[in-house]
Amino acid sequence: MKLNAEQVERLYAFTRQHYVEYYDLQTELVDHLANAIEEQWQQNPKLSFEEALNIEFKKFGVFGFMEVVEKRQVALNKKYNKLVLNEMKVFFSVPKIIGTFSAIGIVFYLLKFFQEGLEIAQGLFGILIVVFIIGLAILSRRNKKNTRQTGKKWLLKEIIFGYSSLAGLINLPIQLALRLNGKHYSDSSLILFSLLLVLLCLTTYIVLVLIPSQAEKHLKETYPEYEFVN
Amino acid sequence: MKNSQLYKGSLTTIVMKLLEENGRMYGYEITQKVKDITKGELKITEGALYPALHKLEAEGVLEVEVENVDNRLRKYYKLTEKGSAETINRLAELEDFIRNMQTLVQPKLDY
Repeated sequence: MKLNAEQVERLYAFTRQHYVEYYDLQTELVDHLANAIEEQWQQNPKLSFEEALNIEFKKFGVFGFMEVVEKRQVALNKKYNKLVLNEMKVFFSVPKIIGTFSAIGIVFYLLKFFQEGLEIAQGLFGILIVVFIIGLAILSRRNKKNTRQTGKKWLLKEIIFGYSSLAGLINLPIQLALRLNGKHYSDSSLILFSLLLVLLCLTTYIVLVLIPSQAEKHLKETYPEYEFVN
Repeated sequence: MKNSQLYKGSLTTIVMKLLEENGRMYGYEITQKVKDITKGELKITEGALYPALHKLEAEGVLEVEVENVDNRLRKYYKLTEKGSAETINRLAELEDFIRNMQTLVQPKLDY
């Protein structure tokens, strides 16, 4: 005996009740539960759907689906970080590396030239932070709207549009900006500042513009089912 | 999983070996296959299998395909090219481990 469409829907609802928000994970767990229930029916055809479901759910242990969800988050965050890193590498390969190093050079000379007014460096960091926060807010709003329309949440999409582990990076420029204190800095530390500023600008660009613009491609690669249901 | 601590480290290798032999498989199929082969002695828990599959997928060892089967979507896993090469390494490692364990557990007393 096979599950009917209504029972499959009930399984989706069941995973949602047990805190699996993401459609990609729901789908996999629904198929697993469905197979297991069908297997139980082969051995004991009198078992009701709900009884069979309860028996299967118990096999996941006291924490239910929680562990599966958590580990999936870790795995996809890793994947996302790899995406960002790969994009970053492009900026350090020919021909883009020329642009990257010129940018670092320009920032360095600006900082050196305005040595006395380190508020400028602080200001640059400040602008970067504000841009990052505003950008994240815009992205996550756009994603929320989209999720409402489709009714489906995808973990990688959530990571790409705002809930990114890289958001923690924002702490770095804050710390740096706070530590600048107007004293005379050596050339090497100015070079380091310039490098960091450019790296942060690049990260901001990759996280806020580049990857979201290719989101559909990444999602289709990760989720073959993405095209099925959207 | 029976005596899980001992089996835990080998779960990914077991999964990769199964996929090498069977081409593509879905999660539930893997749990059943392991149960069949070991005659029910070794049961892979759901809570361990899916995280392992997702990790391997994120590492680029596995890739996924989705099909519509019996009113629902089914996710199949299969080895990537990188995954096939990795499987050979992991199996060799596991065999070394088994051999070493054997010598440790049953030391030859006759020398």
